[in-house]
Amino acid sequence: MASLELRKIVKRYKSQTVLDNLSLTVADGETLVLFGPSGAGKTVLLRLVAGVIDPDEGKIFIGGEDMTDVDAEFRGVGMAFQNFALFPHMSAFDNIATPLEAKRSSPGTIKAGVESVAKLLKIAHVLSHKPRALSNGQKQRTALARALVGSPPLLLLDDPLRNVDAKLRFEMRLELPRLLADRGATVVYVTQDYKEAMALGDRIAVMSQGVIRQLGTPEQIYREPANIEIARLFGDPTINLLDVKPARDSRGIYVGLSNVQVHLAGAYDTAVGRDCVIGLRPEALSFVEESTPGAIPVTVEAETPLNEKIVTLVRTVRGREILVSRPAGTPGRSEGKAHIAVDGKSALLFDHASGDRIGSKNVVALRNGEAA
Amino acid sequence: MTAVVSQRPKPSGFRISKRVLPYVLSLPALLVCIGILIPFLTSVVYSFQRYRLSQPWARQFNWGDNYISFFTDPKFWNTLKVSLLYAGTTVVLELLLGLAIALLLQKRSTLNNFISIMLLMPLMTAPALAALMWKLMTNPGFGVLSYLASLIGLQDFRWASSPSTALFTVVLVDIWVYTPFIMILLLAGLRSLPTQPFEAAALDGVPRSFVFFRITLPMLTPYILTATLFRLLDSIQQFDIIYAMTQGGPGDTLTVFQVEAYLNFFQSTNVGRSAALMIILWAITYFLSNIFIKNWLRLRERARGQA
Amino acid sequence: MEHTSLLERILRGVALTLVVIFFMFPIVWIFMMSFQTNETILRIPPQLIFEPTLANYTALITGKLMTAAGTLDIAFMRNLGNSVFLSVTSVAVSLLLGVPAAYAFARHKFRGSEDIAFTLLSFKFAPALLVLLPLTLYFQKLGLANTYIGLIWVYQLICLPLILWIVRGYFEDIPADIEYAYRIGGHSWFATFRKIALPLAGPGIAAAGLLAFIFAWNNFVFALVLASADKQPVTVGALAFITSSGIQYGQISAAIVLSITPTLALALYAQRYLVEGLSLGAVKG
Repeated sequence: MASLELRKIVKRYKSQTVLDNLSLTVADGETLVLFGPSGAGKTVLLRLVAGVIDPDEGKIFIGGEDMTDVDAEFRGVGMAFQNFALFPHMSAFDNIATPLEAKRSSPGTIKAGVESVAKLLKIAHVLSHKPRALSNGQKQRTALARALVGSPPLLLLDDPLRNVDAKLRFEMRLELPRLLADRGATVVYVTQDYKEAMALGDRIAVMSQGVIRQLGTPEQIYREPANIEIARLFGDPTINLLDVKPARDSRGIYVGLSNVQVHLAGAYDTAVGRDCVIGLRPEALSFVEESTPGAIPVTVEAETPLNEKIVTLVRTVRGREILVSRPAGTPGRSEGKAHIAVDGKSALLFDHASGDRIGSKNVVALRNGEAA
Repeated sequence: MTAVVSQRPKPSGFRISKRVLPYVLSLPALLVCIGILIPFLTSVVYSFQRYRLSQPWARQFNWGDNYISFFTDPKFWNTLKVSLLYAGTTVVLELLLGLAIALLLQKRSTLNNFISIMLLMPLMTAPALAALMWKLMTNPGFGVLSYLASLIGLQDFRWASSPSTALFTVVLVDIWVYTPFIMILLLAGLRSLPTQPFEAAALDGVPRSFVFFRITLPMLTPYILTATLFRLLDSIQQFDIIYAMTQGGPGDTLTVFQVEAYLNFFQSTNVGRSAALMIILWAITYFLSNIFIKNWLRLRERARGQA
Repeated sequence: MEHTSLLERILRGVALTLVVIFFMFPIVWIFMMSFQTNETILRIPPQLIFEPTLANYTALITGKLMTAAGTLDIAFMRNLGNSVFLSVTSVAVSLLLGVPAAYAFARHKFRGSEDIAFTLLSFKFAPALLVLLPLTLYFQKLGLANTYIGLIWVYQLICLPLILWIVRGYFEDIPADIEYAYRIGGHSWFATFRKIALPLAGPGIAAAGLLAFIFAWNNFVFALVLASADKQPVTVGALAFITSSGIQYGQISAAIVLSITPTLALALYAQRYLVEGLSLGAVKG
């Protein structure tokens, strides 16, 4: 009932193009995450869908209906704002009740509706408070409750966890997927946090400069990023990027890292002899004995133990810095000389000039205006 | 929009397209104002006419005659001189005094806040009534100020009734009414300045005169400019105080633009000359207001940014 | 500022005292005069200590002035009533016209909106007589001369720009997202205006209204040009009074006190908003 389709949307502010001929389809019941740096146009896109701003060109369909010229109050969507946008002069209860009031529900229905969603979001005890008396987490839950209370078939969530503390963000990241799944609503979720994107999205649309750069499942985006930029955005610690020039020998295509030939698994024929960048995820690297084939000699510079993993900064003999990540509790080196090995299968190869990924696997890179 | 069956609420009843809405909202205010624009245009027409209410039959276009005759008209030059003198004197004195008082009250304390609120009272007094108050106080028979003047040896000080002191008297009333305006704007400006530069200067032991001229004044400049231009725009058009106090007299000592135009219209019924005077004043204020609005907008942006 | 010398503190104290005396003395003195009989007022040197009398106020309020020559009617209460009526009605009309327009200017940047807003602003800075003098001729033709309606219309010149620009600032201070949230929730623009924008800008609208009232009350030239005795507010009435009543200085003082009290009281009440209002939103207090 509430699929969403955007057709060739263009939005300009003065001379600046914020959304550039953007098309996107979200299936009924799907959760799509819009991911990208600030200024990518994610929030503008959400507001266009909500109907509070108008596109300069293009069409917006919700549930198959053309909503481009329909006022916001008739689109039947629910939206939660990054800054919560609670009504400061109303209690939490009245805030949550506003969408039900718009439907002219009876006071009894309104009370029941508000209380049930408040219970779900664990804010039943603060319903009489004004927003100014709520903690950030309670504000965020109130805003979410207000978006959910009318059971809208299409939910727009604009970075709702941005302004809450780390602990709450962690809790909500676990809680939200179930909550959204239970509702059965179509969800468009905006975030700048790649972990949130991976945890919540059925699919992720990576945006920058008003264009969708890649659209795919979290798995696809992580394993097969369309370009260096996207590879860099996903993953913590960030991916290691090293300039290489692939060559070929009898065993296949290899790159030289510190005079060690590292063979790559994959169809990289076109890359031979070109200036390339190899992307190595820190967790695709491991400490090995010197005797291991393909072992690269390095010097350990620093070790940073994090909760669930240990990140080690090493330097190759050519002076290039590389991050190696391993699960906490596994053996590694904390100082001195060491050797690391590369998992050739998970290495990513990018064209140096364009930044695009090279390879035979399905790349779901999008150009302007191309639908998925 | 097309009608499609769904459970969404339907657009119904009272609906205005969002493109038209802002116009609808501002239209009534606009209509009222158009009513004001018409007489403005009429003024322009009158200013190019020979038009005396006492001789309506002789009304005709004389084009620039009203304006050209100003060049050789000592009364006009007197009007211009008095207007500029009045505006210049009041604004300079009020600025100096207002700045001094604002600096005295800069520190937030109960007493200072109380005084700054008290000082608003002259500003909230109708200028025409303020002129009356001062007229009573400077009455040669019983006025307390006349008495005080005699105590310091100024026997028979005539205040507004004497050509030599009339300007001084009305300027004094203007200062009494409007200095608080500059004071309160500059005080708000002073109190909104960031504190770090001053703390740093105090730590470094920079002399206070240096702090004032090199830090305070430059940072306060936008406020000073806005307040000054605001006052200048008002002061060059002053009517209430002067008319209520002396009706432009004695003689033509205080016939500033608006007073002269009023007298031309109602006493000599010379509509054409009166309109031409007003157009010249309008040209001056238009020029000033353009500079003012630029400064004012910048300050306004800044104030909104703080919100 | 920490290490102020004793001398400096004394100088500051003296300066502040002089400032307070200069600005407060006229009000205090007129207030005192209003409780004196003509005989005490005319005494030289002026008296600081006297037996207060309410006779001046009684005369004003009853409208009958006893003089040696007989009883004189004074219309001052009528002027006071005119002032109240003209100011209140003008501000009400201004709010009705100005608040929606301010909302349009703040929320919907439409073609020409800034031009219109600035044209309205420029009314505040144009010489009043430029418009007033031709208007007297028009008003005579339209039958609006010496009517309340005509006066209230012209009073919009003072009230409307003030309200428009101050209230616009308050609307702009409301985050747009808050209004978006309400509309997405299913409410019309009008409901959003009524339930969200108006309550949130409420204090600002009230302050703008109070200021507009003060300015309307204090206006002199509009009524001087356009109204005759029975429609005149206190500002013009008091001036006429001083010439008609000759030497009744006690009553004149009392009339002035009655005329300035409402604005002074309102100013004290709304002083928190005065800075912002007086600078049309350019400076926040």
